[in-house]
Amino acid sequence: MTGDLAATAARLSAASRRAYQNPYEAITWPDAVDRDQWFTSPELISLYGTPAWDGLDERARRELSFWEAVNFYSLNIAGERALMEGLAARLYRPGLEDVAEYLHHFLDEENKHSVWFATFCLRYAGKVYPERKVAFPRDYVEGEEDLLFFARVAVFEEIVDRYNVAMGRDDRLAAIARRINANHHAEEARHLVFGRRIVEHLWRRHSPGWAAETVAGVRAHLAAFVEATWREYYNPEVYRDAGFADPWAVARQAWEHPATVAHRRELGRTCLRVLRAAGVLEP
Amino acid sequence: MTARTEAELRQALRAWVRAHSPVPVGDGFSDDTPLIASGHLTSLQVTDLLLFVEELRQSPLDPASLRPGAFRDVDAIYATFLS
Repeated sequence: MTGDLAATAARLSAASRRAYQNPYEAITWPDAVDRDQWFTSPELISLYGTPAWDGLDERARRELSFWEAVNFYSLNIAGERALMEGLAARLYRPGLEDVAEYLHHFLDEENKHSVWFATFCLRYAGKVYPERKVAFPRDYVEGEEDLLFFARVAVFEEIVDRYNVAMGRDDRLAAIARRINANHHAEEARHLVFGRRIVEHLWRRHSPGWAAETVAGVRAHLAAFVEATWREYYNPEVYRDAGFADPWAVARQAWEHPATVAHRRELGRTCLRVLRAAGVLEP
Repeated sequence: MTARTEAELRQALRAWVRAHSPVPVGDGFSDDTPLIASGHLTSLQVTDLLLFVEELRQSPLDPASLRPGAFRDVDAIYATFLS
């Protein structure tokens, strides 16, 4: 373990202790929400800029923004569940002892975030959207599984944070949506710092000993992960709940539309820059 | 949407695999070709494949049915989600 990473983890642990929150007191939950408000910034709604969006009136767009928020929070719940499983499995693992204290904070904070996201989904929508994911068992060379785990976490959180930052300060949004996004960003800022450092550390430590095909496989996996992460933002169940007659066609057409391709390219720049800066992706 | 026959659904699945496989799909590709073991399907493609399957059947899938064996080959995908 390099001293730099251990020092970063110690600094982040101290910051987490100072910012410690009771998840049941941090947010005041109204009994109900008015769905005639915005819950997702219009520009961040998955259909924005497509013919499907153009065909909606203002009221329907706001209704869609509610279900988009439910999907965004559901994605976070699924992502954080996988994250918590991975973090718990790595507590005190040889080679990661120096960051174990911070992993406890990371776990604690992700659990709190899931409480917030699930409270919104269950209280106001009556459900959490299920994820469409299956993990196929496979073998890894030394260090590959840890690198992929933390790199996937970094990709997921960097994309989510772009949404959180924008929506945490968007005055058009319902107060509860603004608060959830702002709170999540405040804590994720520490996770992003840790993610960038540990990905860089693991890449430098392990990749020099990997065969060229392993390096190529890691890069291909992460490129595919970025696309798979984005794919889940185009959820047919959202479009069905928002009243679309053929939600799968809407999802497919939205995914392929040039406006959404440009949106993903713009918002995905940060996570790709992080992976390139760590050396994981080629410049 | 007009209901598709079993042959049409299987053909659509094979076409999806041919279009999305990270490795070349040979002439011998058939409905019992192992998809995962042969590298034709990765776990990161499952979301995309499931959205395609849902559009074919015009209904959402039961999350409880999502297990690796359901994606073993085209036969398994058809039997699990489309039959």
